[in-house]
Amino acid sequence: GRIPSSFPLTQTVKRSVVLHNQRLTAVFLCRRVTMRGASTGIVYGGLKYQARSIADVKADTDHTSFLAGTLSLKEENEVHLIRLSPPGSELVCEGLFYHPNEIWDLKSCPFNPRIFSTVYTSGETYGASVWQIPELNSQSNAPQLEHLISLNEHSFKIKCVLWWPSGKHDKLISIDEGNLFLWSIDTSNKMAKVISQESVGMLHNLSGGAWDPHDRNAVAGICDSSLEFWDLRTMKKTSSIEQAHARDVDYNPKKQHLLVTAEDVSGIRLWDLRRPKCPVKELPGHAHWTWAVRHNPEYDELILSAGTDSTVNLWLAHPPGANDSIPVDSPKRPKDSLLNSYTDYEDSVYGLAWSTREPSVFASLSYDGRVVVESVKSYIRRK
Amino acid sequence: MDEKAKRTRELLASFYSTDHSAGGGAGVGSAASPRKMASPDSINSPSFDPDVYMSLLVQKLNLEGLLQKHVEMAAEIKNLDTDLQMLVYENYNKFINATDTIKRMKNNIVGMEANMEQLLAKITSVQSKSDLVNTSLFEKREHIEKLHRTRNLLRKVQFIYDLPTRLAKCIKAEAYADAVRFFIGSKPIFEAYGDSSFQDCKRASEEAIDLVIKNLEAKIYSDSEPIEARAEAVVLLKQLNFPVDSLKTKLLEKLEDYLMTLQDEHKETGASALDTLETSEPSDIGKLSDTILSLKTPTGTHMVSVGEISKIIRAYLIIFPDSERRLIELIQELFTKRYGIIERRVKERMTSADILKMIRVIWEDVTLMDEVLAEAALPAFSLEAARSIIRQFISTSFSHLLLEVSEALTKSQPMPKKGSEESSLQNALEGSKKVVIQGSLDLLLEFRQLLDDNLELLAKLRDLIVDWVQEGFQGFFQKLDERFLALCGKGYIANPDSSVIDAIQVDKVQTGLVLVLAQLSVFIEQIAIPRIMEEIAASFSGGGARGYEHGPAFVPGEICRIFRSAGERFLLLYINMKTQKISILLKKRFTTPNWIKHKEPREVHMFVDLLLQELEAVGIEVRQILPQGLVRRHRHSDSTGSTNSSRSNATREDKLTRTNTQRVRSQFLESHLAKLFEQKMEIFTKVQYTQESVISTIIKFCLKSLQEFVRLQTFNRSGFQQIQLDIEFLKNPLKEFVDDDAAIDFLLKEVIGAAHERCLDPIPLEAPILDKLISTKISKSREESQSSSLA
Repeated sequence: GRIPSSFPLTQTVKRSVVLHNQRLTAVFLCRRVTMRGASTGIVYGGLKYQARSIADVKADTDHTSFLAGTLSLKEENEVHLIRLSPPGSELVCEGLFYHPNEIWDLKSCPFNPRIFSTVYTSGETYGASVWQIPELNSQSNAPQLEHLISLNEHSFKIKCVLWWPSGKHDKLISIDEGNLFLWSIDTSNKMAKVISQESVGMLHNLSGGAWDPHDRNAVAGICDSSLEFWDLRTMKKTSSIEQAHARDVDYNPKKQHLLVTAEDVSGIRLWDLRRPKCPVKELPGHAHWTWAVRHNPEYDELILSAGTDSTVNLWLAHPPGANDSIPVDSPKRPKDSLLNSYTDYEDSVYGLAWSTREPSVFASLSYDGRVVVESVKSYIRRK
Repeated sequence: MDEKAKRTRELLASFYSTDHSAGGGAGVGSAASPRKMASPDSINSPSFDPDVYMSLLVQKLNLEGLLQKHVEMAAEIKNLDTDLQMLVYENYNKFINATDTIKRMKNNIVGMEANMEQLLAKITSVQSKSDLVNTSLFEKREHIEKLHRTRNLLRKVQFIYDLPTRLAKCIKAEAYADAVRFFIGSKPIFEAYGDSSFQDCKRASEEAIDLVIKNLEAKIYSDSEPIEARAEAVVLLKQLNFPVDSLKTKLLEKLEDYLMTLQDEHKETGASALDTLETSEPSDIGKLSDTILSLKTPTGTHMVSVGEISKIIRAYLIIFPDSERRLIELIQELFTKRYGIIERRVKERMTSADILKMIRVIWEDVTLMDEVLAEAALPAFSLEAARSIIRQFISTSFSHLLLEVSEALTKSQPMPKKGSEESSLQNALEGSKKVVIQGSLDLLLEFRQLLDDNLELLAKLRDLIVDWVQEGFQGFFQKLDERFLALCGKGYIANPDSSVIDAIQVDKVQTGLVLVLAQLSVFIEQIAIPRIMEEIAASFSGGGARGYEHGPAFVPGEICRIFRSAGERFLLLYINMKTQKISILLKKRFTTPNWIKHKEPREVHMFVDLLLQELEAVGIEVRQILPQGLVRRHRHSDSTGSTNSSRSNATREDKLTRTNTQRVRSQFLESHLAKLFEQKMEIFTKVQYTQESVISTIIKFCLKSLQEFVRLQTFNRSGFQQIQLDIEFLKNPLKEFVDDDAAIDFLLKEVIGAAHERCLDPIPLEAPILDKLISTKISKSREESQSSSLA
């Protein structure tokens, strides 16, 4: 790792605290291993600053790797390419790249492991870009990222960039506070063109969204107090879920029409879009806000959530219809439950990513810049 | 001599026909030699050979022996001779006797033949004389016989001619049985000669018998006649080949009509009673149910008691022994309808005393009826009916209780006046508590009446009642839990299948109600359930109709578990609702301004007022419902001056620390460091059912939210300073609410820390300015509160 020359005091102390805690955590984890036989989290302490964004490098079929971006107002921000070593015992930094501004959102391209997108701000300015990781050679330990595309049509603060999650698609969605943009991108020619745009109006305040993996024309957007759905061909709203103060939304990767939301107060709620009036299921979520929520890409009944109470929770929530043949009272009917609560975090956890390559592994990123990779293998085997 | 002896022996043997083979010695007396000893020396054997015998003797015996043998043998021979002589004499004697007898017989028979011939002649003459007499008397006898027959016939004819008169006489004397007997007796004659000789007579008697039939019919119909007489009449009619069945149907129809009118009136009075019931006082209900159920209405003119009906039925049974089936149907119908009335009534809320009274009245009738018509199986039928009535009653009682509880909860909810709201929550809580416990105990008392009643019918249902009551409580509390959820707008979770229901908007739910529900759940878990459990154990144990594998129907442990978790859920929900409300406030505060272009702070931002106001509202609600924590904290504002002094202490502290910014930071970080581990424990501890715990949890959550909101922004120096000012101001008011100063300090520092991190130019406000702005705000808000209190 690189030690910056002008290290602010805040960071050094924080760092040392984190390192100190890692040791404590290690002891704690060891105890937990002997008690419960669960696998411990693998900690990556390479991020030096606060961070919010982590993404699974889905297109990397050879390694289980993640991209994490830092959020530092005053220091030079970094993007780390982290790889889980083959035995799964440690996290290795495969690449460290400087990023011009603090990263609020980072998504990896689902079909090219070297391409990813970031949303960033710098003081009053903001932007969203698509980057390419340069060919890695050992000489340069901090090579420059290749800037491919700027998504610079936004007039509001950009919230996130969405790639179509299910494979190669030449479209990209970017969401700012008031608009939804559909881009046609050409990474080889470094070209991006707005195909269509939809203004949500002053009343709605978009803060995020998700692209339906089952339908490349459907996208969900998180508004202040509702979840809105658009058809990208017409750029018209198709439906909405009212009374949902969502922070995050994730489509069920296996079953169409199902999605999950993370909300400040209501915790985690599972919805069926064909019946948007009331949720299919509710899970308590976190002690404070539930910030992020993700279905396991392979076992869709496993749901992971991250919260500002510095925990990551693993839930078992059977989607509706799966067990309808078993009567409600029957003890055989699997119950929805909190499988595990990972509590080895010192600050709010904002970043969460399942590995597509190894669905039993997820990475989490807490605000203090600590990446923890955990395996949920024991819970998968149990079902 | 030997030869001679042998011949004699043979003669004797043949004469006495003794068994030849047995040896002749038997008769002589020398039985000492059995045939086994038929050796040559055996003298009595048939194959006796004297020579061999002799030679043997000679060989075997010496002289002395031979001599002795000789003497023996000589004696024997002498004996035998004597015997023989005696026999010969004897036989001879017999022979002479026989000859004499034959001679005498010959003499007597002579002359007998002549006598016989004489006898024959006499008998022949007697015979001829007798024949003579017979033929001479024959004609006369025949004539006499003829005359006798005619006389009989004439007597019969006379009877038939007399029949009408006789019948009339019988009718007059009401001796119908005789009349019928006479008529039936003469029936064959009428059939034979009715058309010719006895035409008039037949007509007359038929007329008479018609009268008899009419009279008999009248007799059957008349209720005043003794039953036996009526039964006899039926028998007589039957003998007359009268169509009795049609008579029976007619009578039964009459009874049926009668019962129908009875029921109609019954229903009318029932309906009118129900009508009046709605308007009348509850005290009248008992009286009304009396009139509903007993058939003796005060106004009824021809109303009869079931006793009389039973009498009629008894009569009918005797009169028409084959009408039983129809009667059973009728009676069962009657009772079905009567039980039906109770079943309808039971859907309203009733006391068990009413139910008991109703069932008792019917049961009395049933027993009465059962004596008459045991085959109708009325007791079993009643048992079935009572079973469903009581089951219905129990379930109705529980659903009414459920309704009452939710009414008690919601009734006092929407209070438009601000002032009355203070106690309305408390009222709701106390009211609903009372309804839950008192209502449950009252129900138990009611149900006990069912158990304690000595009615035979209910005694059979005892186990079932116990089970139903237990099941009822189990179901009641489960439903209550669901109802609670529904009241909070979470009902769709308990009932996910009804897609139609519009989920009650969580926003519209009264937060106070949620708090009431939380506390009520605790009350139910800790006080109501144990109390009810005691009562049930005391008087509703047993049961067991469900079978042991199911265990008792009422599982207090399960209910307690449900309400424990419900209580926690409601408490959390309350906290969540409150924090969400504040969260929206904070979100607005942080998303509206452009923090990067923030102007220099001039005053404490007004959102703190809103925040404190919200917290104040929480305090009011919480104080009404929840108990105080055990540890009473020391209030900072016990005296008015202490606020200022603590404030000035704080500023002095600040002044000291701010001399060196580096030191400020290190101190901040040190405290940060120190609190790092505490953070989780302090912020997200388990909420307790105390005022302090709930308020402090809400404040902690809000401050944590504040921190998260700050982290999402980027501040310029003025923006940072504004946050610093607001937070600094909040410090003391917040501590008024919470006993956990350390946690509040920590969280407030976290907020400032977050702002510091997110600030491009984090230079804090000068202490004097900070102080001045805060004191301005304090005096201003004090003024405001004074003016508002004056107004």
